[in-house]
Amino acid sequence: MSLLGRRGWKASLVFVSLVLAACGGGGSSSAPPLTGCNSGTTLATFWTSHTPPDSDSLKHIVDAYNTQSKSTCVKMVQVPGSETDIAKLTTAVRSGTGPDVYMLDRFTVAERAAAGVLTDLSSFGASSLSSNYVSFAWAEANFKGKPYALPFDTDTRALYYRKDLLQAAGVDISALDPSKGPPTIDMIRTMANKVNHKTNGAYDVVGFIPWINQGWHYTWGFAYGGSFFNSSSCKVTPDDPKIVQAFTDMFTNWSKALGVDAVQTFISSYAPPNQPTQQDPFLTGHLGFVITGDWVLGQIATYVPNLNYGVTYIPVPHAGDQPATWAGGWSMVIPKGAKNASGGYDFMKYIAGEPGQRVYTKETQHTPTIKSLQSDSSLFPGGHQFFINQLPAAHSRPPLPVGAFYWDQLSTAQDAAVRNTADPATALAAAASATNAKLQPFCPLA
Amino acid sequence: MIAAPRFHLSKADRRNLRTAAPFILPWVIGFFAFTLYPIGYSLYLSFQSYSGFGDATPVGLANYQHLASDPLFWKSLYNTLYYTGLAVPIGLVVAIVLALMMNQRVREVAIYRAAVYLPSILPLFALTFIFIVLLNPRFGLVNYLLTLVGVPTINWLGDPKWTKISIVLLAQLGAGGPALIFLAALRAVPSELYESASIDGAGPLRRFRHITIPLITPVILYDLIYGTILGVQIFTPAYILVGGTSGSAAYTAGPDNSLLFYVFYLYKNAFQYSDMGIASAMAWILFVISVLLALAIMRWSRYWVHYEVS
Repeated sequence: MSLLGRRGWKASLVFVSLVLAACGGGGSSSAPPLTGCNSGTTLATFWTSHTPPDSDSLKHIVDAYNTQSKSTCVKMVQVPGSETDIAKLTTAVRSGTGPDVYMLDRFTVAERAAAGVLTDLSSFGASSLSSNYVSFAWAEANFKGKPYALPFDTDTRALYYRKDLLQAAGVDISALDPSKGPPTIDMIRTMANKVNHKTNGAYDVVGFIPWINQGWHYTWGFAYGGSFFNSSSCKVTPDDPKIVQAFTDMFTNWSKALGVDAVQTFISSYAPPNQPTQQDPFLTGHLGFVITGDWVLGQIATYVPNLNYGVTYIPVPHAGDQPATWAGGWSMVIPKGAKNASGGYDFMKYIAGEPGQRVYTKETQHTPTIKSLQSDSSLFPGGHQFFINQLPAAHSRPPLPVGAFYWDQLSTAQDAAVRNTADPATALAAAASATNAKLQPFCPLA
Repeated sequence: MIAAPRFHLSKADRRNLRTAAPFILPWVIGFFAFTLYPIGYSLYLSFQSYSGFGDATPVGLANYQHLASDPLFWKSLYNTLYYTGLAVPIGLVVAIVLALMMNQRVREVAIYRAAVYLPSILPLFALTFIFIVLLNPRFGLVNYLLTLVGVPTINWLGDPKWTKISIVLLAQLGAGGPALIFLAALRAVPSELYESASIDGAGPLRRFRHITIPLITPVILYDLIYGTILGVQIFTPAYILVGGTSGSAAYTAGPDNSLLFYVFYLYKNAFQYSDMGIASAMAWILFVISVLLALAIMRWSRYWVHYEVS
């Protein structure tokens, strides 16, 4: 009957008790959870969907934290995800295996807080940190008056131009000097058209494609003075006539002038999906102008250190208009069910505080959200200071509980405008009604 | 009326069952906990407003009504049926052709079989990345070969007319799996049928048309149903092509949302818009559509499937 002899049972009991001791005990042990950590620290996990070079810098910050922390040892894990895709986080939190700290796109904090994914940081005393951060970033980190995140980096957008390509096409680039104020859209159009070049009937160089890279709906909507959200009526307003005008000029008509199919073929050839950064068409000399952010300064320094380029304001519709840009950025949050929330918060204060943001700014040329760092000009060598100067007047996306949905709706309208398949007014009106229907249950937001 | 035979177990049978039960229990528990329970729970959720966290609020049929009035829902359904309608018949033909090639009596057939089957065991993720390079309109191999025969440049992944066809082409790299099943079916066709047909003067085409095809119709039916069920769930290639992109292209799911497949939209609703109720409603609608399609194929099959020789 017995499968195991008496001796076998004894051996099994010894084995099982050994396993139990190994798993359960450890209370008295003071060995560090990871190499590089101090003994007696407890483990906290930190998830990010960032990739190199930014994730390398995050790792440096984690290592520096672990060296000095006496209480917490942080393990950084790179996970799949993107600005609006947090499937990995959602499923992990639901099954009780989520991280203690997650790096979340700040404009989605309200949305994720509304969905119940995030821990309210009030009990940790996060509100007392508000004065350290620039106000728009702190506002994005709050939902219904409670802090759910600590702001990390921010960024602003500007117009980059290739001096070599423009000069070779006979363009006088002196007008692009930022000291002369923002260029007008007409000016950029004239310059860009001189750069356009075709081989065998297909573009191999295009002067300017306004919707490539950071030339989003928000970018041009703000440039035209449009407003995306009306807080008093709690309604999104993508059908604002100024945004419609922006879409018409920068997407519909610009695409038509270049040739809708021809420009799409150029994009598919030189900027295909999931392209490595170093093959970017601006960096490889196939685009004369591009709208992008300050982090590209770091990419240029890494991949094309000798690039002959300049940076100026995003062009404005009329001469004399105030230049416009917008600021985005990321934040640190504690997901629901975090096992070491207090350790995680201690790390958050470090990485989103002065020590972490100082390293991240130096290494990746993103912009800090800590006020005291923004006035430290030693952190912004070369062209970076231009972006910092724009920050006080920068717009930011409305932090809505349907932010990701709204973004997708705007992108769908933008795509229709670029392809000339729907007129901007109709496409944006559809985006407005779909988003407002989703937003209504959350109103009022205050 | 004849009474149904009683389910009688001898003593030995019962003892065997007792021994077997613990062995199959993990799978039985797994089926109830990880398959049946989520299926039932998703039906419940489809009548709730639920973010995945906190409490669900009952909303009646609101999720279904919302979908009915959502143009992107209809677009995703159209995209998916369009893809399935192309991919299944093309996949069937490709699989049969591959099986015929693998069935040739040549010395090095083992090498051919391995070569034909190899793409089926490569991760779809890697294949999709290779495909992006192959389909580049200016530098890709596919367009280069097409221009040699005078075809104008095709913007495979940037033109909404061609994006779904690109995914259909990509799906053919996985034809090795069904081709193996067809190979087994071809091997099961009795050789004496071919011999007697040859004696009666039938050529290779006639033998294929009148012997091979009728005798492998049960496998064709299987492939049609299986391919359709997989086809309506197409997700991975579209997700890799556009899902993680945050760079240059300003689309949400391919140009003109042409790669917004049904399950991709379901995924977006669940994990990007945190709306598990709508995602669950979509899952149930897809389930009903799949069942209806399978039933329609089964009914249609009465006219052309032959089970005489097994």
